[in-house]
Amino acid sequence: MAHVETATESAPNGAASGGEVLSIQQRRWRKFRSFGRGYYSLLLLVGAYVLSFFLPLLVNNRALVVHYNGRTYFPAVRDLLDLPLVGQLGGTPFLSGEELGQVGNKSECDYRALKRQYQAEGKGNYVIMPPYPFGPIEDISVEGNEPFAPPLSRTEFGDVHLFGTDDRGRDVFARMAYGFQISFSFALLVATLSYLIGVPLGAVMGYFGRWFDLLMQRFMEIWGSLPFLFLIIIVVSIVRPSFFVLVLLLVLFSWLGIAQQMRAQFYREKTRDYTAAAISIGVPTRRVLLRHILPNSLVPIITFFPFAIVGDIGALVSLDFLGFGLAPPTPSWGEMVSIGMENLTSGYWWLVLVPLGALFVTLMLVVFIGEAVREAFDPKTFSRLR
Amino acid sequence: MVEYFVRRLLLTIPTFLGSTFVVFLVVQLAPGGPLEQQIQALKRGGETAGAGLVGEQALPKDAIEELKRFYGFDKPIWQRYLIWLGVMKREAKSYRITPGKPRLVGDNERLILVPMGKSFALRNADDPSKPVGNWQWRQENDPETGAIRYRVYREAYSGIFTGDFGRSYRFRKPVMELIAERLPVSIQFGIISFVLSYAISVYLGVQKALRHNTPFDFATSSAVFMTYSIPGWAIGAVLLVLLATDRFFPIFPLGGFEDPLYAELTFFEKIWDRAYHFVLPTIAYTAGSFALLTMLMKNSLIDTLSSDYIRTAFAKGIREQRVIWLHAMRNSIIPITANIGYVIGIFFAGSYLIERVFDIQGIGQLSFEALVARDYPIVFAFTVISVVVSLIGSILSDLALAVIDPRIRFK
Repeated sequence: MAHVETATESAPNGAASGGEVLSIQQRRWRKFRSFGRGYYSLLLLVGAYVLSFFLPLLVNNRALVVHYNGRTYFPAVRDLLDLPLVGQLGGTPFLSGEELGQVGNKSECDYRALKRQYQAEGKGNYVIMPPYPFGPIEDISVEGNEPFAPPLSRTEFGDVHLFGTDDRGRDVFARMAYGFQISFSFALLVATLSYLIGVPLGAVMGYFGRWFDLLMQRFMEIWGSLPFLFLIIIVVSIVRPSFFVLVLLLVLFSWLGIAQQMRAQFYREKTRDYTAAAISIGVPTRRVLLRHILPNSLVPIITFFPFAIVGDIGALVSLDFLGFGLAPPTPSWGEMVSIGMENLTSGYWWLVLVPLGALFVTLMLVVFIGEAVREAFDPKTFSRLR
Repeated sequence: MVEYFVRRLLLTIPTFLGSTFVVFLVVQLAPGGPLEQQIQALKRGGETAGAGLVGEQALPKDAIEELKRFYGFDKPIWQRYLIWLGVMKREAKSYRITPGKPRLVGDNERLILVPMGKSFALRNADDPSKPVGNWQWRQENDPETGAIRYRVYREAYSGIFTGDFGRSYRFRKPVMELIAERLPVSIQFGIISFVLSYAISVYLGVQKALRHNTPFDFATSSAVFMTYSIPGWAIGAVLLVLLATDRFFPIFPLGGFEDPLYAELTFFEKIWDRAYHFVLPTIAYTAGSFALLTMLMKNSLIDTLSSDYIRTAFAKGIREQRVIWLHAMRNSIIPITANIGYVIGIFFAGSYLIERVFDIQGIGQLSFEALVARDYPIVFAFTVISVVVSLIGSILSDLALAVIDPRIRFK
């Protein structure tokens, strides 16, 4: 489709941009940037997501720097290097309290207490805490943390819980921030993987057709009529899934729409003249598929990508809300909401409003981006005749 | 055309079988099923009664056999599926019997096993001349001692094709009864929000299209995007906190479907009470689908408005309202009609999250709780209903399209 539109649309658009010749991608990018709402949403979201990888340095109960008896430790940096799948590149972030001079504390060091201790001792040891000194998982077992502390409340040592704490005394702001990273990574992974499965499958179904298409269509019809949230809940209730297993579970159901969309596109594009021309001059099938048809079929699913992200984040939060999502104590928005809803009459409103506020903002940004992308890829200009 | 729809209907049968079988397989193969749960419960019960001395041996094999038979777990899975469908006979009633002693079966029928040569014959205990119907007997071994014992049973086709969805394990009631109790609530919400979301989205879509790129368009777009991106239950949760808890504005009830004293209210109070409880959940239900429909409506009307026949209509001097609502609408409404089936499916399948948030005892809650408790008959009944709804929904979409657009010819 895009092929044809390029021919018809290039003249007026090219002229409008002062005679310089722009490729279709450049024109799309320019059009995208002209939608301020979408463009700034993109900048904000990409910025926030990149920043979220450095969360261990910004929001953490482990200190950035500990200087103790001439030795310097960087527990938060080790946290930062603790990567999923890859492992702990910087060694374990665990340092016991005794190692750093907290007498009798063999478990994880309480760095906020350590800071107070060093200040009181005045021996030249020091602790530098991250800007927000609470972690997402530390709970009531750490001295000073109270369950259901309201927003802006101070601990007995003067540290402020920005958005209060949950039922186990865990800091809501920290959990919200880490929850963003997890939800967004989750949605990106699910969407990308389902595209990687759906696009080639749909392409093969649409282009080659025949028995493969027939068979797959029946299969997809069955698969599509399954109550998928229901099935995921069944599976999750048997095996408490890790992050990646849950990703795969969602991919299992979300590739379907992509494949159907791609199938329809390839089915239509293979009858076009340019495809016939390419085949007749002897272009190999692989090249016809990848170089000729694919670029012309991608537009609808590219514009759908942001909306796929929206759906996947929503699905994760819904599953977490029901208690069938990521295994605790993973910071998750849905879990916070469910705690808040269970205690609705007790007035722990921040447990509902904070994570859902974060969800609203994130999803709004993604939808704004999606809307701008859609407009940018749409060659039609609105005109009303009357 | 008729042929097309008949074929579509017939094609739903293999799809139905396929998807119910998948669910059946997943649910039945999942560990921690009702059998295991019952055994656990029996063991726990035994422990408390028997002063902690009872271990693995506590549950007699006999009892396990009994449980297996009750749940149908003594048969391979494909047989269980066929039985569940109702195309294979199942042991509908089954009782132990001692030869020579009458056994009460059913309501007031008494059977007796009388010795006849080396074997036995089954007779009606009260009137030997009366036929025993389709009661049969068989010999089996006690799993515990290996001793020979006897059993009378009756086989029958009873499954979803005969309208029998089985009995709930937990409620000890036929599933259909349970669903019938809960369905009205869910249907009321479904219908109201279905009508509302179409009414709002058509009107709003038209207004947005007519005032494209005006402040009105931008303002409503934000609202539409918000409801599009956020799951309906989340909107419901926020509304509940803001408009029902004491912390903010306690205007609406905290949940539920009606006042606890509903039965004592007068007629008008009843209507008011319903409406009062309906507001927030209805918003949550409607929000999910109205955004998509509104945008579809807007975009397709914009497309139509720039076509030549609309220009012609305006050129002829027809009033604007008439052009829009009669000329343009006919074409613009097609895409949102195509979504009817999808929207119906959403109201049905997505409802348990909203029902959970608002604590509405509808079928969504019922099936969710059944899922957690592994109450299979309810889970399967819900699956059947939702698969059927989604299949019928997609046919309905096509049908609606064919009705509204005479150019569409399905082959």
